[in-house]
Amino acid sequence: MDVRKTADDISITAGDTSIIQGGNRFIACLFFIELYIDYMVNWLYNKLIIDHMVSEIDRREGAGNVNAIEIRNLTKYYGKSRGIIGVSMDVREGEIFGFIGPNGAGKSTTIRTLLSFIFPSGGSAKIFGMDCFRDSEKIKMDIGYLPAEVNYYDDMKVKDLLRYSAKFYRKDCSKRIKELSDIFELDLNKRIDSLSFGNKKKVAIIQSLLHEPRLLLLDEPTGGLDPLMQNKFFEVLREENKRGVTIFFSSHVLSEVQKLCDRVAIIKEGKILRIGEVDELAGDKFKKIKIEFANDETFELPGMVNVQTKDKTMEFLFSGKVDILIKSLAGVKVENLWIEEPSLEEVFMHYYRSEDRN
Amino acid sequence: MALFLRELSRNFKSFIIWTLILIISNIGLMMMYPMIAEQAGEYNELMKKLPKEMLKGLSMDKLNFAQILDFFAYVFLYIILFGCVYAILLATSIISKEESEKTVEFLMAKPVTRNTIVTAKTLCVFFYITVFNVVFTVADYLAFEALKKSGYDINIFLLMHLGFFLIMITFAAIGLLVSVFIVKAKSIYPVAFGIVLGAFFINITAAISDKLENLKYLTPFKYINPSDIVSSGRIEGVYIIIMAAVTLVSVALTYVFYNRKDICV
Repeated sequence: MDVRKTADDISITAGDTSIIQGGNRFIACLFFIELYIDYMVNWLYNKLIIDHMVSEIDRREGAGNVNAIEIRNLTKYYGKSRGIIGVSMDVREGEIFGFIGPNGAGKSTTIRTLLSFIFPSGGSAKIFGMDCFRDSEKIKMDIGYLPAEVNYYDDMKVKDLLRYSAKFYRKDCSKRIKELSDIFELDLNKRIDSLSFGNKKKVAIIQSLLHEPRLLLLDEPTGGLDPLMQNKFFEVLREENKRGVTIFFSSHVLSEVQKLCDRVAIIKEGKILRIGEVDELAGDKFKKIKIEFANDETFELPGMVNVQTKDKTMEFLFSGKVDILIKSLAGVKVENLWIEEPSLEEVFMHYYRSEDRN
Repeated sequence: MALFLRELSRNFKSFIIWTLILIISNIGLMMMYPMIAEQAGEYNELMKKLPKEMLKGLSMDKLNFAQILDFFAYVFLYIILFGCVYAILLATSIISKEESEKTVEFLMAKPVTRNTIVTAKTLCVFFYITVFNVVFTVADYLAFEALKKSGYDINIFLLMHLGFFLIMITFAAIGLLVSVFIVKAKSIYPVAFGIVLGAFFINITAAISDKLENLKYLTPFKYINPSDIVSSGRIEGVYIIIMAAVTLVSVALTYVFYNRKDICV
């Protein structure tokens, strides 16, 4: 296309055919405007709609794939002493994930590595698909952390600390602070160093929630809270979870994990023993059996663990089929029989003991 | 920015206390000048009878107490000593306190990089040392104007205060670096005092003994020794280079090590 423009005339030719010629400037102008608009619309369409659609597809596909937390072979030694060894686990977005183990098993070490307080000796950790060490600052915008031990600046009042905390997220959190402090009945005007242990914990809870994080890392969160406050806290956690917040809940108290969590990982001496659904770990696999015999009998079947014999009664966890158990009991005289769902505690003790034997 | 402002308010009280104490001590000591100047002849005679080594060690050998700058140089050395203690305490505690009081767990869970933390804290130290020196110099100038018996060289006066500023910055930078490694409040204060007092005594030793003269390169107190400035009218270039180098290297290493450090609380 060839466009020629003189002082008072304009002509457009494509090859030999002339499209617009002569003094019809009005039509020429319209033609240009049309071309221009066409170009702009195309550009806008490409730029905005298609780009947006592509990124939307990316995001949706990503959301399915990205776990909230992805830990691979994470190992940490403090000098020669063990922290954690080869820890691997995935926490899905939107779930409440329990992390159980006795004191010193490596729960806090794992959480501190996720927060890049400490650097691993080996392995990798990702949160929302981002590297915990390289992208730490970005990740932390979306994390609420509740430490096991609460230590705050002794020259601050509760509200000073919460405001200071909010400043880091460049967000106005005053409404959320008000809400949460009402729920937990916390006086914002008190000095932090005058607070009791439980009240300090409340400050920490509010502090971890006020910026509406997508992931909560809770390290032994219920220590120091009375049962009433614990319940309120769990309610708040469930509500947060309903909004899509992922919760990583570390604890040595099994009942609370059982109450709250979808899945759990069990850690001992720095190594993950098992990861699974809470119900599966607790119930489906094991039955708690107690038999009272009429005489001094002994009894053995594959699938019996944690056997405890006392006088004529025998107690154990059984992972085989109940039918087989009943049938094999037919040969002996049974005074009494209990079949119960074991508590997570009992299953947990079993995992620990069997690990010891190995 | 939030962190920087927080550090300013957190260290404000100690800043006020140290500034007041040092200014008051300085003015208090300077008030003795009129009395000493009147009897300067006798003092100078008396000085001549004292062992030369001692005078050298305390940098009093070249001083003429009739001159206000000379008298000030004698007093100022001790003010500098305490100023350096303030500088190093400020710097060592600003990073280590977060860890010794375990508040670092709060701070590190926020979306800030470790570089941001070190920068905010370093800037706070720099800010307070600068403000301290400006306030101190102005107060000292007023004291000079009130107490002087004859004119004095204002350039030398300013040079001495510049030296004070430089040595405080140097010790602060060393303090920042040290506090990355030593975090327990119990151990950090002895170390901080030890560094400053150690440097001070090296200064005395280097002045007394000819054999140990080269020790002078080890101590910033020699670099900006007030009586040397009064007699030579300048701070030697090599000393300024050493102080600048020590400061830059210390601060740079603070960043490097703090970024690699495991924060265990």
